[in-house]
Amino acid sequence: MNEKVYNIDDLQNVNVDGEKYIILQIGPSHPGSGHMRIKVWLDGDIIVKVDPDIGFVHRTSEWLSERREWIKAVPIVERIMLPDTVHANLAYVLTVEKLLGIEPPPRAQYLRSLVAEINRITSHLYGIGIFGIFLGSSTVYMWAFGDREPFIDLMEMLTGARITTSYIIPGGVRWDLPNGFKERAETVLQYMERRLKDYEDIWVKNPVVQARTINVGTLKKEDAIALGVVGPNLRASGVYYDTRKHQPYAAYSNIDFEVPTMKNGDSYDRLLIRVEEIKQSIRMIRQILKDIPEGKIVADQIYNQLNPVMKKNYEEKKRVMFPAFMIHMRPPAGEAAAKVEAGRGEIFFYIKSTGDKYPYRFRWVTPSFRNLPYFTHVAVGHRLADLPTIYGSIDYFPPEADR
Amino acid sequence: MSEVRKPRDPVTGHVKALAKGFKYLVEPNRMTLDYPAETMKLPPNYRGFFTVDDKKCIGCSMCEMVCPPEAITMVPRIIGEGGKTIPAPEGEKEAKGPKRTKRPVVNWGKCIFCYFCVDVCPVDAFIPTQVHDLAFEKDSEYRPSYEEYLKPPEEPYKNAKKVVSKADLKRGVGYDPAP
Repeated sequence: MNEKVYNIDDLQNVNVDGEKYIILQIGPSHPGSGHMRIKVWLDGDIIVKVDPDIGFVHRTSEWLSERREWIKAVPIVERIMLPDTVHANLAYVLTVEKLLGIEPPPRAQYLRSLVAEINRITSHLYGIGIFGIFLGSSTVYMWAFGDREPFIDLMEMLTGARITTSYIIPGGVRWDLPNGFKERAETVLQYMERRLKDYEDIWVKNPVVQARTINVGTLKKEDAIALGVVGPNLRASGVYYDTRKHQPYAAYSNIDFEVPTMKNGDSYDRLLIRVEEIKQSIRMIRQILKDIPEGKIVADQIYNQLNPVMKKNYEEKKRVMFPAFMIHMRPPAGEAAAKVEAGRGEIFFYIKSTGDKYPYRFRWVTPSFRNLPYFTHVAVGHRLADLPTIYGSIDYFPPEADR
Repeated sequence: MSEVRKPRDPVTGHVKALAKGFKYLVEPNRMTLDYPAETMKLPPNYRGFFTVDDKKCIGCSMCEMVCPPEAITMVPRIIGEGGKTIPAPEGEKEAKGPKRTKRPVVNWGKCIFCYFCVDVCPVDAFIPTQVHDLAFEKDSEYRPSYEEYLKPPEEPYKNAKKVVSKADLKRGVGYDPAP
């Protein structure tokens, strides 16, 4: 890492020798930048300043949700965070439940945690795969995307859709565990545990990867706290913080798990932490499937409003249909906020209701947006060739940041 | 975690990576389905194309109200013999008058397959299927008329070998012949 101090706040675009900096535009067309533009000032090939230009995939999710019935925001928030749909869905529903004052039954809580952890594994595998292709390893890209498939199949078996599940509704979840799910999940988990050893040999402990990631893009603990980064990236810098542990939601207060943290906060630690979290998620899924209590999967307030046809469906097919309440839902006036630990970090939701059929204010902050300081603070002083390493290691997802 | 982080000795590291790569070169870990020669039989709750039971539907418009992308429109119909409906006279936009009712039609170009409509139906009149791989050649095919919408969606590649996916300890996803 180059130790020379640059001062480019005056934007003269001239270095100490009177030479002009090269300004490089990476993006906004996709390869290597995501759907965003990264503007880089270079002195030779040393990065002097980075200015991420976001907003190319802004989809007005807040505006859209403020003009629709409450239930219609569920598919909208899902489509913003495509590798991580369940967490967006869960965060929104938790906020609405706080406004409505509904508490889902324990079985529904466990099912929410179950599908969230399956989703976390797919999300981390997605991140590892993208990191792979950024470093030029198409092998680990194909491997990781292939190994998402067994988990996506599990989600499909449980929720009826591969990615955009719309599984969690106010008051509970939409389907119960299907027959044979536990056996299938156990096989998939054993498969993944075996595959993680393969990943170790070909990717995680590969000397090429270690040479390209160790001490690249280091963010110290104090800086990480000051910049407000979230999720696995924060924990890679050594901060012990996880919403699942500190403000438990769903069934996390009953589940025994560890929050892995690293010390150095460089790109290699950010890779390792994702592998460690996959191991923890596997451990959690096993516990959930073992401990899941019997009982209803939807709160009594919703169940009592089902008509006889719907109740018959619930008993026979374990499927929760929607009472008319779902369309005409009008949560009492007030404010609510909820936090959820998603694959890339913490989602924060704030909703204000005026007792109307649409939300009055719909505000949410996604983890990728809060991880943006990495570009401006971490890349400076590195060579340009290290920028893909830093980008890949923070697992940044532009549509999620732009909302 | 310092033990995990320790840089591997370059020689051992490269040899291990190459050996692992060679192992998968000889014994590839393929989980790909040979589509469309083989097609998958999907789980019973899979959300595919769906149609409506003309006799069961009561024309209450709940599906239209809950549809997030506003893909459902209600068309005016007249209740005929045996509970089946016949088209309303041309030009009639609202279902007012004797034996008038409404029926839903889905615009497949807008539908996101969330199944909120299927779940909100108070008489469970929608008929879900697991067909998911239809292709439309013309723009007008996205917006079927009510009569076209009533026909159950036909699965493409009928002669394909049917398989069901399963979890496989060796390959992650394996396939069994469908029962």
